[in-house]
Amino acid sequence: MASLDLDWEEVREQLRAWREDNTRHSEEVIDMWEYCLKHYKHKLGDERWMVEEQVVVAGLDSYRLDIAEHSLVALNEQFPGSLRVRKLKGMRLEALERFDEAMDVYDSIIRQDETNSTARKRKVAVLRGQGRIADAIKELTEYLKIFMSDGEAWQELCDLYLKEGDYSKAAFCMEELILTNPHNHLYYTRYAEIKYTQRRDPKGGLDNMEIARSYFCQAAKLNPGNVRALYGLFLSCTQVSSSTKCSAQKKKETQQLATWALKEIADRYSKCRTNAMDGSKILETFGSLSITEKA
Amino acid sequence: MAVVWARLAFLAGIISLFHAGYSAAQHRAYMRITEQEYTSLPTDIGVQGLMSLLLTMYGILHIAGDFKEIRANVQLQNKSWETVGNRPTFYTFAHRGRALSPNYIPPKSKSLLDNIENISS
Repeated sequence: MASLDLDWEEVREQLRAWREDNTRHSEEVIDMWEYCLKHYKHKLGDERWMVEEQVVVAGLDSYRLDIAEHSLVALNEQFPGSLRVRKLKGMRLEALERFDEAMDVYDSIIRQDETNSTARKRKVAVLRGQGRIADAIKELTEYLKIFMSDGEAWQELCDLYLKEGDYSKAAFCMEELILTNPHNHLYYTRYAEIKYTQRRDPKGGLDNMEIARSYFCQAAKLNPGNVRALYGLFLSCTQVSSSTKCSAQKKKETQQLATWALKEIADRYSKCRTNAMDGSKILETFGSLSITEKA
Repeated sequence: MAVVWARLAFLAGIISLFHAGYSAAQHRAYMRITEQEYTSLPTDIGVQGLMSLLLTMYGILHIAGDFKEIRANVQLQNKSWETVGNRPTFYTFAHRGRALSPNYIPPKSKSLLDNIENISS
């Protein structure tokens, strides 16, 4: 087995950072485990089991079932009868597409421990993996009736509604998330994007656009580096000002806002200008930024 | 290396603090035995206590690590939806990424050649 010249302590720090950051680097985790940390696993101490769990999930994600099963066996020996290990076994069945058996495993976990939230969430993931989005939505709403404050579940529900095209319910989910984290500019951006997509709504097309504009503003205020919010601001402002139901006064204000957003974007691009990339072409293409009917 | 110095400073500060307290107690007992009036602590004990407090605080600050930014939104400045919107408890594994693994066996599917052979035969 080849082994790279990496410092195993650095690798351990990196895995710990990824664990805490909640990011998804499955292939890198597998590589680091396979070529470095596996040989030092006895030096990890208590952290070893968390790393093994991380390796199991990463292995299932990148379809390296041999590595995942190896770590799963080690975890099973250390913690026999543990519900957390049983959940990992269920996840392995999911990766093998044996969805019914996975559902049985999760049901048995819930029978044994009513308060276990992760098993219920995995059931939703099983339904999603099978492509049964409507059933997944139903299961997730049942879950949220019990565990109302779970931010991740609200995010997942929003994503499922977006998959179904149900924008108003997705907007409701994002509103819940904004309520829990009012300083997170990414939630505002996503909410504004959902509202922007609802512009064809016969009930309140222009209202949705104005709501989108104000939420893009808030996102840009919280994080001036959020270029996505600035683009959204520019587009929503041009839409609002070119709509027929807009008064002259508001039109002037929104156009000023649009020019400000344009200037900010140009500034951002000029700051990270390199020899290869010239920002001037971008300013030319701004004029052609618009919403068209063509798909 | 800096952590070792910080730990030493913390330990020295704590020991010195205890020593100052003990000597203050001893001083009080001495005053009582020699029937002198107890007015105030001798200056050297006070100075030692203060210096050891500062040394302990310095050691603790270096052991505890960096402070976290107080503004809640600054941490999120550089994060994208990829990391914040990640939902580890809802991971599904039925995605196309599995095709990149060395263990992947593509499902057998009818190729165009099979169809042509069926027609001609």
